[in-house]
Amino acid sequence: MSDEIIKEEVSGKDRRSFLNLSIFISFAVAIGGALYPVIKYLLPADSTKGTEGGETFFISADEIPVGSAKLVRYKNRPTIIIRTKENEVYALSAVCTHLGCIVKWHEDAKELLCPCHAARFDLYGNVLGGPAPKPLPAYKAAVEEDRILIREA
Amino acid sequence: MNELRLGPILIRNRFLISIYNFVENRLGIKEILDLEVFYKLAPSYLGIFSCFGGITFFMFTLQVVTGILLLVYYVPTTAQAYDSVVHITNNVPFGWLIRGIHHWGANIMIITVFIHMGKIYFHGIYKNPRELNWVTGIVLLICTLSFSFTGYLLPWTQLSYWATVVGTEIPSAMPVIGDYIKIFLRGGADVSQITLTRFFAVHIMVLPAAVIMFIVLHIIMIRRQGISGPL
Repeated sequence: MSDEIIKEEVSGKDRRSFLNLSIFISFAVAIGGALYPVIKYLLPADSTKGTEGGETFFISADEIPVGSAKLVRYKNRPTIIIRTKENEVYALSAVCTHLGCIVKWHEDAKELLCPCHAARFDLYGNVLGGPAPKPLPAYKAAVEEDRILIREA
Repeated sequence: MNELRLGPILIRNRFLISIYNFVENRLGIKEILDLEVFYKLAPSYLGIFSCFGGITFFMFTLQVVTGILLLVYYVPTTAQAYDSVVHITNNVPFGWLIRGIHHWGANIMIITVFIHMGKIYFHGIYKNPRELNWVTGIVLLICTLSFSFTGYLLPWTQLSYWATVVGTEIPSAMPVIGDYIKIFLRGGADVSQITLTRFFAVHIMVLPAAVIMFIVLHIIMIRRQGISGPL
């Protein structure tokens, strides 16, 4: 009789280990059930999904007057569109290649300046100065009738 | 040592035992755990109404957790407060649940507080030597009601706005100091953004800090004096 009990305990299939497992599973289900809504609450679905970046993006030409720039989301990344002349537009990734700040267009200097560590870029994304290690990725941009179109270079 | 017995719990996991031993060797927690947790017996004369202090404490922790979660999306400005509450309720996943628990939990907490207080009152438990515990309990009651009053304004609805107008108007009936109290509560002559900001500050910082301090005092005194016997 006592041998049987020892055998059962060794194989881990006695009543106690079954009950322990049941308690563990009940706790896991209860804690998981409480944490699931909290995690869903803190990670709202609509902010994790960006706009699915089609290969082309367009914006009304009225939104970017000549001599100004506008920040848009293209391929779910911050992208800056600069309109220098009536029919001349440039589109670049606005994420600085140094530490990821968003670059700004400076009309008077005709260059892009990163506000964090003063990296400078020209209209084609080339580094003019500062700590940026790589040029900004540039996209093809064109004015077509009343729209400005961007597509992959 | 291959197993560790803590009251009814038998631990066989070597890793857990080594963590326990690490703490035990440095702080000597076994004595306190045995005395206060594992071999502490609840007196047999305790009935259901003796549970309401603990239930109230549980409701408070629930309010803290859901309150912190609401704070993640709530915006305490007159322009955006209502919209942010609507956003939490309708757009944020499970926002309806978190806000619902905070709303109904607040109501249930008021009920449990009064059941707890009624038990203490009608059984005469507040008498010598427990007067000080009654006093901390009254402070906690005032804090709980202040929580309700300040929290009611935060969604910035018609109901909450006018309830705050009426509620802050009441002290002005007092002679001489009444108007000063009203202006102090509102932060001006009218209920405005300043009122919302100070109610928000009181609701999320001042009252939680006060309540936690007084709950600690309340429980230390219960532990020191023991739970009162039957009539």
